[in-house]
Amino acid sequence: MEKVKVRICLGTSCFVMGASQIQELEFNVPEDIAGKIELVEERCMKLCDNVKDKYVKGPFVMVNDELIEEATYEKVINKVRQVLQDNCQ
Amino acid sequence: MPNSPLFIEIGTHQQQKHGEDCFGDTIFSKKIPEEQRIISILSDGLGSGVKANILSSMTTRMAMKFVESNMELLRSSEVMMDALPICQVRKISYATFSIVDSELEGKTRIFEMDNPPFIFIRDGKPFNVKSKELSSAKWKDRTINISQLTTQEEDRIILMSDGVTQAGLGNKKYPLGWQRQGCLDFVLAEIRKNPHISAHDLAQAIVREAIEKEVDKQAGDDISCVVLYFRKPRKLLVLTGPPFDEDKDKEIAELVSYYDGKTAICGGTTSNIIERELCLKCEIDKTSFDPKIPAASKMNGIDLVTEGILTLTEVYRMLKEGVDENSNNAAVRLAKLLLSSDKIDFVVGTKINIAHQDPNLPMELEIRRNIVKKIFRLLQERYLKEISVRYV
Repeated sequence: MEKVKVRICLGTSCFVMGASQIQELEFNVPEDIAGKIELVEERCMKLCDNVKDKYVKGPFVMVNDELIEEATYEKVINKVRQVLQDNCQ
Repeated sequence: MPNSPLFIEIGTHQQQKHGEDCFGDTIFSKKIPEEQRIISILSDGLGSGVKANILSSMTTRMAMKFVESNMELLRSSEVMMDALPICQVRKISYATFSIVDSELEGKTRIFEMDNPPFIFIRDGKPFNVKSKELSSAKWKDRTINISQLTTQEEDRIILMSDGVTQAGLGNKKYPLGWQRQGCLDFVLAEIRKNPHISAHDLAQAIVREAIEKEVDKQAGDDISCVVLYFRKPRKLLVLTGPPFDEDKDKEIAELVSYYDGKTAICGGTTSNIIERELCLKCEIDKTSFDPKIPAASKMNGIDLVTEGILTLTEVYRMLKEGVDENSNNAAVRLAKLLLSSDKIDFVVGTKINIAHQDPNLPMELEIRRNIVKKIFRLLQERYLKEISVRYV
């Protein structure tokens, strides 16, 4: 099965707004999704350039092609679970 | 003046006497760029703790003024001895000193009073330097030794307080202490192990070794060491921030590719520019994960790639308070890179990152220009680095 690609933006503003906690996915992944995600840390996805016009605010995480705004560790994990579930159906 | 004058790296390390809050020895170094000159002074105050600290601090400050203004030394030292407060117990005023006054062309003079004689290393071997003895008519028992030498590349001068030579005194293995010879043997072995050991690392190694010799490994006296290392300057280019004008992207990328030294890039957008312009690939370095500082990245041919503001802010804190030895995050790596370089060229892009101006973000998101200014001032004043800054 193809892995779910999780891209975390580690740019300055995303990092201070909480991406630093989402990095925890490198070391601490719940059992049910362990081995099923491909984690990519990005230096900056440049989404913050359009914060007012297009997006609400960071931290930004992409799960496959879907953008999560104001991401948290839980939000990302739930999204991954949802994608995995959708893939099974 | 020769085309490329030698750089003098000054490394110091100190340990106060066990149980004391402050250092009884004082080290004071100063660079006088207009005269291409460096003066470094080590003084050991009578006794230990606050009293010794006052004596040695006063001595180094006065000596610095006198040496700086090229005043005659014998007269200067009489003035210093007259000025020092008299100890209530011993009824004398007293602090030793060792002064190195070095011009970058190589002419170096060393003045010593009552400290263990300095060590001079050339080609990995001890080198004896002839000295002249002067004594004051007023203070008969005080003599000053003056030595003069012309330094060459890879020379080292080591000053130490008697805390180093007397380390271990009373210990069964070292009834007379470590002695100058013991210290010299240790220094030669360290240099054999690592011929380019930095002044900072060597000073630290000497003090640590002296403490090892002590009874219960507790400093029985103030232990201080100064190492002056004469060498070709190690250059570092720090690129941080995107240029105000995008047309300059190519120019700064070329700066990086032609630079004759190490290079560090601090900032996500900045590294994106270099990655794009030089067609390099940049990947996150997972060995540098840290919850407080964004990870470093690896880029071929670049010595270090880090995030910008948060990393620089943490580097500034560490340069003030000491580098965190237990971490290997991006800020620690950058701080170590800065400290191991002699000539640092900062190129600072002044474009403001709009995303950082959000009032909901923490206050430490400073404007890049300000934090870089603070860092280079500290590097210049406290660490005596040669700094150049260019804003683009």
